[in-house]
Amino acid sequence: MLVPGKIQHIICTGNLCIKEVQDYLKTLCPDLHITRGEYDEETRYPETKTLTIGQFKLGLCHGHQVIPWGDLDSLAMLQRQLDVDILVTGHTHQFTAYKHEGGVVINPGSATGAYSSITYDVNPSFVLMDIDGLRVVVYVYELIDGEVKVDKIDFKKTTTTTHSAH
Amino acid sequence: MSREIVEEESPSLTRVVSPENRSLGALRSVRWRVSLSILPPSPSVDDLRRETADSRRRYAGLRRRLLVDPHVPKDGGSNSPDLVMDNPLSQNPDSTWGRFFRNAELEKMVDKDLSRLYPEHGSYFQALGCQGMLRRILLLWCLRHPECGYRQGMHEVLAPLLYVLHVDVERLSEVRKIHKDHFIDKFDGLSFEENDVAYNFDFKKFLDSMEDEVGSQGNSKKVRSLDELDPEIQTIKLLTDAYGVEGELGVVLSEKFMEHDAYCMFEALMSGARGSVAMADFFAPFPAAESYSGLPPVIEASTALYHLLSIVDSSLHSHLVELGVEPQYFALRWLRVLFGREFSLNDLLVVWDEILTADNSKLDKVSGNEEISGFKILDSHRGALIVAMAVSMILYVRSSLLATENATTCLQRLLNFPENINLKKLIAKAKSLQVLALDSKISSSLSTFDVAYSRSKSAVSGRNLSSGPISPNTPLSVVADSYWEEKWRVLHKAEEPRQVDSLDKLAPSGKRRWSEKVRLVLSRTESDPSAARAGKYKKGHRSSVRRSLLEDLSQQLGLEEDTEAGDCFDVSNIEDRHSVEGQVEGQDDTSIASICTAEERCDSGSGASVSEESSSIFSDPASSGSITNDHENDTEKSSVASNLSSDGNDDRHQSDLEDSPLPVSSPPEDALLSYSEENESSGKMVSASKESRHLSGRFQWLLKFGWNNVSQEASDKGVSNETAKSANRDSKNNAADSSTAAGASRPTSQRDVVDQNVMGSLKNLGQSMLEHIQVIESVFQQDRVQVGSLDNLSKNNIVGKGQVTAMTALKELRKISNLLSET
Repeated sequence: MLVPGKIQHIICTGNLCIKEVQDYLKTLCPDLHITRGEYDEETRYPETKTLTIGQFKLGLCHGHQVIPWGDLDSLAMLQRQLDVDILVTGHTHQFTAYKHEGGVVINPGSATGAYSSITYDVNPSFVLMDIDGLRVVVYVYELIDGEVKVDKIDFKKTTTTTHSAH
Repeated sequence: MSREIVEEESPSLTRVVSPENRSLGALRSVRWRVSLSILPPSPSVDDLRRETADSRRRYAGLRRRLLVDPHVPKDGGSNSPDLVMDNPLSQNPDSTWGRFFRNAELEKMVDKDLSRLYPEHGSYFQALGCQGMLRRILLLWCLRHPECGYRQGMHEVLAPLLYVLHVDVERLSEVRKIHKDHFIDKFDGLSFEENDVAYNFDFKKFLDSMEDEVGSQGNSKKVRSLDELDPEIQTIKLLTDAYGVEGELGVVLSEKFMEHDAYCMFEALMSGARGSVAMADFFAPFPAAESYSGLPPVIEASTALYHLLSIVDSSLHSHLVELGVEPQYFALRWLRVLFGREFSLNDLLVVWDEILTADNSKLDKVSGNEEISGFKILDSHRGALIVAMAVSMILYVRSSLLATENATTCLQRLLNFPENINLKKLIAKAKSLQVLALDSKISSSLSTFDVAYSRSKSAVSGRNLSSGPISPNTPLSVVADSYWEEKWRVLHKAEEPRQVDSLDKLAPSGKRRWSEKVRLVLSRTESDPSAARAGKYKKGHRSSVRRSLLEDLSQQLGLEEDTEAGDCFDVSNIEDRHSVEGQVEGQDDTSIASICTAEERCDSGSGASVSEESSSIFSDPASSGSITNDHENDTEKSSVASNLSSDGNDDRHQSDLEDSPLPVSSPPEDALLSYSEENESSGKMVSASKESRHLSGRFQWLLKFGWNNVSQEASDKGVSNETAKSANRDSKNNAADSSTAAGASRPTSQRDVVDQNVMGSLKNLGQSMLEHIQVIESVFQQDRVQVGSLDNLSKNNIVGKGQVTAMTALKELRKISNLLSET
């Protein structure tokens, strides 16, 4: 499904573990953003990362630093800290997506379905975001019972979310 | 909006208008729409409006169907789309996203052309709105006609149509301003001023306005009723009345629906509107299904063109034929864009007036010939007029064509049609020729013409094309498509720098200097063997320069014999030699011979020159060889290299036309491994060098291989046969020249010194040639393995007979190299 040339950016929460996986992702798209997970051999990935795509600010973090793991409120704290509209984290190996306080917190889950100590029955999943002006459409691709299931979430950014200086 | 373009009510316009359309006189777009059968020819305004509305509805429906934006939820998003199919990564071809991506690719292609459209009228054509419209129209047309796809040039057919609509809308607004009172909405006989926010029946104001109308001396005419208006204005009023038949959709001159109308006109023009001449045919690389000659329609039309020319002016025709100026070199562009690039925009509109007025319906063939043996383009008045127009244009520049002995200059003249022309005369001549063209005796004489035509390559190529490739996507078709235009464009460009680069001056950059040196040296080297035979110095004053250069050369040759670079040198030497020889000896200055400079020869066009020159090199150094032997080689090699050039062109066209990247991807080792790849890469490297302007060793290596290998295709490349034969003829001329010049020798004292150097270099050449021959033979062994795996264009036809001819060619090469070594 993932063909080179169609994707403009790749955002990866971490735990790629070895360089070969990074190389593979690079073949899909040269613009690759990765943060450090606890098993990554590459030490030079940052802990958190922010980037701007279109009108949206995205934040990236692996998530093992945010305790309790996968807790929405704590992640929301991180989101406010990074001052982003969309926060992408991982570590739980389970897909979740919350709309929260004018922003979105997405956990794309594990792309490989790797074992997790906190989740039973890990289904491989990934997320495709289509950013178009002030609107982002999130397509979730999950492999459940051998079949690829697709889901869609719409999110529109309200233009008044420019923070005043504190 | 560039208003200056708008005022072009040329006098010829009135001449053109037929009586029943007088009222539509100045409204070109309406007239054209009638000629293109979009609107009915009836004078009734209601009918016009109805048809307009219908055509617009069709377009709107088409647009809604085909233009896809998956971002926008359809129908308010009530029915959630089937996400398994409709997600962006879906492989399903029906998915919205899939269609969206495919459209995006088409759009990219179209945009490449649109960005270059009419830069001189850029204020209109390069405006975003206009570009958007053009893009959408072209995209939709291509989606509707996937068998044609988008070809370069279609945008030029579309642009004047859109422009004409725009002009009429401008005219409308002018008229509106002048006759304001008639165009304002009138309810119950009262006029509503635009800035009347709240309608206040002010009796006083009403009286005032009445008085104003009566007493005004302003620019508005003092007419009350519609009937007193100028019929033209009257028509405009009726056509654009928003309350007439079909309401707003029926307003014939409408800015809102310009895109719709332009699409309808474009579609009608391209498909021929049930008539005989369809523009889309000219873009098709394949012969039409029912074509007698088996030629692609544009080639057939070009042949018709020449046929008519031969009848009208046989001396000019034979002159052009002798020079090797094939009609499609220039006619391809003329026909495909209907002379869009030959005339300025305003002139073009006049020309199109004529062409579109001509009836496009099929003529009945009264002649007794049962088969459909005729030029398809001459099947209608319009087609005949197009052909006649082209011939009239050729006749217009007759004197300058007859004056040159050089095919390139001829083509230059034809492709850069003069600016200030007497258009009326041109059109009048075209009309008289049209009558001639329609004469049934002429139009049905295709078969006899083919036979009489000395080079029946067209038919051969046509048959090859139709019988050859299985899949329609083979590059073979692309060759016919773009080959001619590209080749001669390239030649044309190459011609100019060459003239600048005179042999006497050593150009600034090092590379250039070297190549110049080599060139000069090689010319010396070249002439010397013949001098050995009978001694000749065409340009004696250069001898001192040459001697020093020759020493350089032999040094270089000696140094680098073993390395690849040495091979490069050899190759470049050989090539340069060719080019030089062309320059030195080409009194005739045949198009092909004249094309070479060190850099420019890299042009695809120079492939032919390489052939030329390659033939020459074999003719001259083979001192003991007979002239006839040389000529054989000439034929082979010239056809060979023209094949090479066609490959080059082919591949070049396939790559980005705008900025051809350096596509030399295969390293020399690969070239050894797959000889077909050589052809491809040789073609590519031809373009690469053109762009990069330096002769990488790889390039030369490959070129040499390509040059050698191309000999195998001699018998199979029907498409390039024409150039081959013309090159052949030209090379014959060259060889003849050299032999005659050899007779008139002008030896000088320096010759002896040079002779030794020459012999040395020749020996080296001979040896390296032998090496290469061995390499080629080894390639052949491997080639057998490679046969099925590559779908290169050379592969299609070469494999079987190719090997045989290749072997014979190699034997020849061997003989020659032996001769070289012996000298």
